[in-house]
Amino acid sequence: MMFKGLLRFKSAVLPGMLLSFTLLSFAFLLFYTLYLSQDGDIFTSIDERIYGLLKFTLYQAFLSTVLSLAVGILLAWALAHQSQFKGRGLLVALFSSSLVLPTLIVVFGLIGIFGRNGYLNQTTLFLFDTSFGSYLYGLGGILLAHTYLNASFASRALLHSFESIPKEKYKLAKSLNFSVFERFLYVEYPALKSTLLSIGSTIFLLCFTSFAVVLLLGGSPSYNTLEVAIYEAVKLDFDIGLALKLALIQLSISAVLVVFSSSFRVGLSNLKTSHTLIPWRETKTLQIVQWLIIGVFTLFFVLPLVVIVLDGIRADFTRILVEPLFVKSFMTSIMLATVSSILTVIIAVLLSNSRRNFSLSTRLEDHPFSKVLNAIIAFSGNLYLAIPSLVLGLGFFLMSQKYDGSPLLWSTLALLTANVLMSLPFALSVLAPAMQKTAQRYDKLAFSLGLTKRQRWFYVEYPYLKSALAYVFALAFCFSLGDLGIIALFGSDEFTTLPWYLYQLMGSYRTTDAAGVALVLLVLVLTVFILLPRLFRSERVKSN
Amino acid sequence: MLKVTNLQYQYKNAENIYSYELEVKPQEVVAILGQSGSGKSTLLDIVAGFVEPSAGSVILDEEELIGLPVEKRPITILFQNHNLFEHLSVQKNILLGVSKVLKDSIEEVEKVQAILKEVGLEEHEHKLASKLSGGQQQRVALARVLIRREPILLLDEPFTGLDEKTRLEMLDLVKKITLEHNLHTIMVTHEVEDCERIANKIYEMQDHSLVAR
Repeated sequence: MMFKGLLRFKSAVLPGMLLSFTLLSFAFLLFYTLYLSQDGDIFTSIDERIYGLLKFTLYQAFLSTVLSLAVGILLAWALAHQSQFKGRGLLVALFSSSLVLPTLIVVFGLIGIFGRNGYLNQTTLFLFDTSFGSYLYGLGGILLAHTYLNASFASRALLHSFESIPKEKYKLAKSLNFSVFERFLYVEYPALKSTLLSIGSTIFLLCFTSFAVVLLLGGSPSYNTLEVAIYEAVKLDFDIGLALKLALIQLSISAVLVVFSSSFRVGLSNLKTSHTLIPWRETKTLQIVQWLIIGVFTLFFVLPLVVIVLDGIRADFTRILVEPLFVKSFMTSIMLATVSSILTVIIAVLLSNSRRNFSLSTRLEDHPFSKVLNAIIAFSGNLYLAIPSLVLGLGFFLMSQKYDGSPLLWSTLALLTANVLMSLPFALSVLAPAMQKTAQRYDKLAFSLGLTKRQRWFYVEYPYLKSALAYVFALAFCFSLGDLGIIALFGSDEFTTLPWYLYQLMGSYRTTDAAGVALVLLVLVLTVFILLPRLFRSERVKSN
Repeated sequence: MLKVTNLQYQYKNAENIYSYELEVKPQEVVAILGQSGSGKSTLLDIVAGFVEPSAGSVILDEEELIGLPVEKRPITILFQNHNLFEHLSVQKNILLGVSKVLKDSIEEVEKVQAILKEVGLEEHEHKLASKLSGGQQQRVALARVLIRREPILLLDEPFTGLDEKTRLEMLDLVKKITLEHNLHTIMVTHEVEDCERIANKIYEMQDHSLVAR
């Protein structure tokens, strides 16, 4: 009976399970390569320096998470209660784009405002003949950038939670004359709790493994994290032994964090937000506070992007766009992004297709191993959260020393793997629920009609999944376009991407050219992220 | 003859065992009455093949159906909802009942047109299923029954939610189709009036067992 069920759904289950096995084998191979390459017992040789790195990595991740959640809650609360102003939808969509904004762009924009020669210092110098000097670099800058990137992501998810609160609860709170604080405590916070936990754990993991922000805004070794220390050990100190030690520590802690947080981690959705209609006006004071929050955060979010545009349009595009290194970087970025997006979509579909078989009553939900197999597939899709990019890069670097193959081949393989793994958790969080819903809705009908696999895909699944697939492709494309992770280990004039090229320009103080390239990257990312899903939206099909 | 013999089913982690025994002749409508949660839809799930019983058999003209996958069973089933693919046209919805290829043949399309005439929906052939009324959607689902020509028809309260006039029309259409096409029809409902209107035999779920009324 056990095998009969598996045989019946073999074409749906097997590809995903094989992929899952491949991903887990790769993770094992990586860990094995790293472990075999180091001498001695890493855990007994943790010195003061490594301990300091670990402490700071955890500390900045914790503070970033707290700040991001605090700002996210305030913004979501304000947006939930100011639900009907013109442009609200556009604003929420703009905040959603923070997920795909290249970290390098964000940092560039923040430096443009808060840096020593940024607009803020220039303004105070002009008005008050005084400047704040250089304050962006260090813990403050890291927290600022992390909050920028993660608060908007958090607010989107929390806004969904606010909007799921039935308006009857608000009516009850009003009839009991609750204060704002009581209303939050008894009505709103219970709805937010589970989202807070899941978003919080995701943000913590992202900040724990943050690389580009710390590299660019850390400013000194006192503000280094494990990821940046791995990069410096490989690229600057040529100390592979130290890099290995750090990588194994990073990997072990990340794996524990991922396992610990997996029970309450939930992903994002490409569903539009609705708005809860509370049929009375808030007090004037409250409205002012809510508008202030929305206004301040919008400024905070938009200004760095405006700075990129303002500085970027001053660049000499007639020269930049034909520079051989720019053209090479552009083509490599586009090629890598396209290939990794296609791979991400295919892998996410296969994994999601496998997973849903183990959670549907019309399929294998009652199979003895369904829960375990489901969890294994889910974990394999979220591997990147346990394997930070620099650790992955180091693994490929060591494999390239050990096995045959040109540097170009290994670099391409490393980047493609990293890009796919990086996008998979987000891709799965969009596709898995969508595919689950389609099956729940139509499994019985489709099975009873004896639809073939091709009929099922063309007539039943694809029309409903089209927009989710386009969104996942756009997401993966943008992640890949903007990543400055593994390329930091493999980048050179022979193998260069747009973010790496931009980083080189910033490092050599070619600020105007850097602004031009940053603008190109920003326009590319926003165009793909906003336009592509719209092309695949269908009026025939109501979203799941 | 469709024979359900000594059929038993036990839900996971539950103590109660549901038992079923009945016979359905060709051209017969057998109604199953019962409260929500009494286990009447479970019988249809077992006959359709969505769940496996713990014991018993379902035999159609000496062929055992238990063990056959859903798609190989000679049944057509109508559910309470999601009987059609709302994003597809009426024509495509019916064709998916028989066609196994992506491109439809002229003969199949002509068959659909003839059947739509039989159920009074010929002018809706190219409309999206989502644009039809509830009653029209169930007519399309019944049109699919006709094109499939499978000997067993299972109805899991598909007319709940329709206005009374439309519901009675649908019931009469079910009776007509059952007689004209020699179907073995099992209808699950909680409406006694529906049973009395078209059923040849009425069973009821009592204490987890099916008993003749």
